[in-house]
Amino acid sequence: MSSGVTVSTEAKTVYEEVKKDRKYRYIIYHIKDERVIDVESTGPRDATYADFLEELNKFKTECRYCVFDFPANIPVEGSQDTQSMSVNRLILMRWCPEGARVKQKMLYSSSYEALKRALVGIYKYIQACEFEEASQAAIDDAFRKSGGK
Amino acid sequence: MSGGVYGGDEVGALVFDIGHYSVRAGFAGEDSLKAEIPSMVGYLDEVPDNSMEVDSQPAPTAQRKHFIDTTSIHVPRKGVEMTTFLKDGMIEDWDLFEKMLDHVYAKHVKSDPKLHPVLMSEAAWNVRSKRERLTEIMFEKYNIPAFFLVKNAVLSAFANGRSTGIVVDSGASQTSAVPIHDGFVLQQMIVKSPLAGDFITMQCRQYFEEHNIEIVPPYQIASKEAVNEGAVPKWTKKTNIPEVSKSWHNYMVKEVIQDFQACVLQVHDAPYDKETIENMPTVHYEFPNGFNQDFGCERFSIPEALFDPSNIKGVPGSVMGIAQIVTTSVGMCDVDIKPALYGSVIVTGGNTLIQGFTDRLNRDLSTKTPPSMRLKLLSPVGTAERRYAAWIGGSILASLGTFQQMWISKQEYDEGGKSQVERKCP
Repeated sequence: MSSGVTVSTEAKTVYEEVKKDRKYRYIIYHIKDERVIDVESTGPRDATYADFLEELNKFKTECRYCVFDFPANIPVEGSQDTQSMSVNRLILMRWCPEGARVKQKMLYSSSYEALKRALVGIYKYIQACEFEEASQAAIDDAFRKSGGK
Repeated sequence: MSGGVYGGDEVGALVFDIGHYSVRAGFAGEDSLKAEIPSMVGYLDEVPDNSMEVDSQPAPTAQRKHFIDTTSIHVPRKGVEMTTFLKDGMIEDWDLFEKMLDHVYAKHVKSDPKLHPVLMSEAAWNVRSKRERLTEIMFEKYNIPAFFLVKNAVLSAFANGRSTGIVVDSGASQTSAVPIHDGFVLQQMIVKSPLAGDFITMQCRQYFEEHNIEIVPPYQIASKEAVNEGAVPKWTKKTNIPEVSKSWHNYMVKEVIQDFQACVLQVHDAPYDKETIENMPTVHYEFPNGFNQDFGCERFSIPEALFDPSNIKGVPGSVMGIAQIVTTSVGMCDVDIKPALYGSVIVTGGNTLIQGFTDRLNRDLSTKTPPSMRLKLLSPVGTAERRYAAWIGGSILASLGTFQQMWISKQEYDEGGKSQVERKCP
C-alpha cells in the first residue's frame, strides 16, 4: 500500500549522478508539499559518513530519506592489488526519528516504496528511528549480514 | 466527483477502525476521533412472552430493536441481549454491522454518506469474500464516492515510522503478531492467540468468584455507604430494575472488571516469583458497591498468564505466551528479514496498556532473540496513540492529497465490480 506520493525527475537524476558520475557523496531527500519526493541537499564527494551523520543530526524531529555512497574495497582473491576492486555501495536510508510527528512518520513510511522502486542499484536498505540505527557500526553490521550476496 | 480517479479532496474522508472493544470513527486529517462506540450492541426481539428465550441463530425480523452506543446500551431494559457483529476480528453479522454504520452516520457524522470517501481498517487475516462484501455494501447501500480498505497492522507500523517490522497487537479479543515487509503483510506468518484483554477479564472474574467478591454493576446500586477495608459492603439495591438478561448483566459486570484491570493490574518485569512480588506495593481499589480492599500479589499473578500461560486453569497446554507468539511468527519468516523484524517490534492495542507490559515483553523477547540480532520495541507513549494507532494512521493517510489517486472510486467500482478491492487494496 502506498500513499501515491511520486518521485521527482530531479531526485532520479541526482541519484544517477552519484551512482555513475560520483558527483556527490550523499543526497538528502524530503517530501515537498506532501506530494513529491525531491532533493533537499547533497553532500560533497569528500564528505565522510561522520559528516553525513552530523548533517542528519539536524533532523531530530523530521523524517528524511537519504542516499549515501559507501566506498568499499573488496580484496580480490589471488590478487595483491586491492585498489583495483574498489566498489561503491549505495545505501538508502529512511530516517524516521521517534521525535517526529506521527503525520511525518506516516507520510514517509507510506511513500518509501515509490522511492525504493525509482532508485535502481541500492545495495542496502536501512530503516532508522534513532542514531544508533544509523551509526557506522549498524551499517557495517548490515553489510556483513549480506556477505557473499 | 466523476472520472476514473477520485479527485474530491475538498470533502473530508471518513476513517473507521473496527475492533472488538469499540468502533472508532472520525474525519481524516483530524487528530482525534469523532466517536468511539462499543462494539457490543443490544437487541430486543419484540415477541411477546418468550423474549428471554433466544435461539442461537434468530432470523432478523422487523420487530428486532437495536440499542447502539454507550448511553443507549447502559439503560437497563427488559430482555435486551448483548451481541457483537464481529468474530475473530472480521465482520460476521452484516445486518448488525449496517445498523452500526447507520448509527454512526446519523448520530456522529451527521452528514450524507455519499459525500464522504471511506477508509476502513481490517484485520490482517481478513478474507476475500468479506472484503468484497464490505466493498459492495459501502458502494451499493451507502453510495459512497470512494473506498479504501487497509490492514490495521500496516497502519500501526506506518504510524510508528516503519514499513518493515512485526506488529504485536493485543486488543480485547486476541493478541496477534503480524509481520510486515515493505508495507505488505506476510499473511502466512501471522500468529494469533486468545490471550488478550477479554481473557484477563475472565481471569479476574474467576479470581473474584474464588474469593467471594461479588461484583455489583452500578446499575443495581441505589445508594452505598463508606465501609472499612475488607468489610462487608453496605449498599441498597435499586428496586425498579427491569428483568435484564444475563448477557446484558454480564456486560455490565465486565465493564466494572475492565476498570479494575486498568487501575490495579500490573505485569511484573521478571517471570512471576511469589517472594519478590509479596514485597511489591499494593493498590487500593473500591468497587462500585463500596467494597474496598488492597490488592497485592494478584495484581501480578493475573496478567502473568499473558506471558506464561503454562499454569493457568482451563486453558489447553498449546496456548502460547506473548513473547512466544512473536518468536514463532518471526521464526517462520525468511532469514533475510528476521533482523529487520526483531529490530522493529511495534506494540499496539488497548491491552498493552497494562502497566509494565512492554518492559516485560522486551525482557522476554531479549532472552529469545538470537544474539546476532538487535531487538527494539517501538510503542507510542500516549494512551490514545497506542489504542488508536491504526485510526490515527488511517486519518493521516486518507488526508494526503496524493492518496486521492489510490481510492477505489465509485466509477471504478461501477465498471470493475467488487473485485476492485483485491486489485487496489492489497
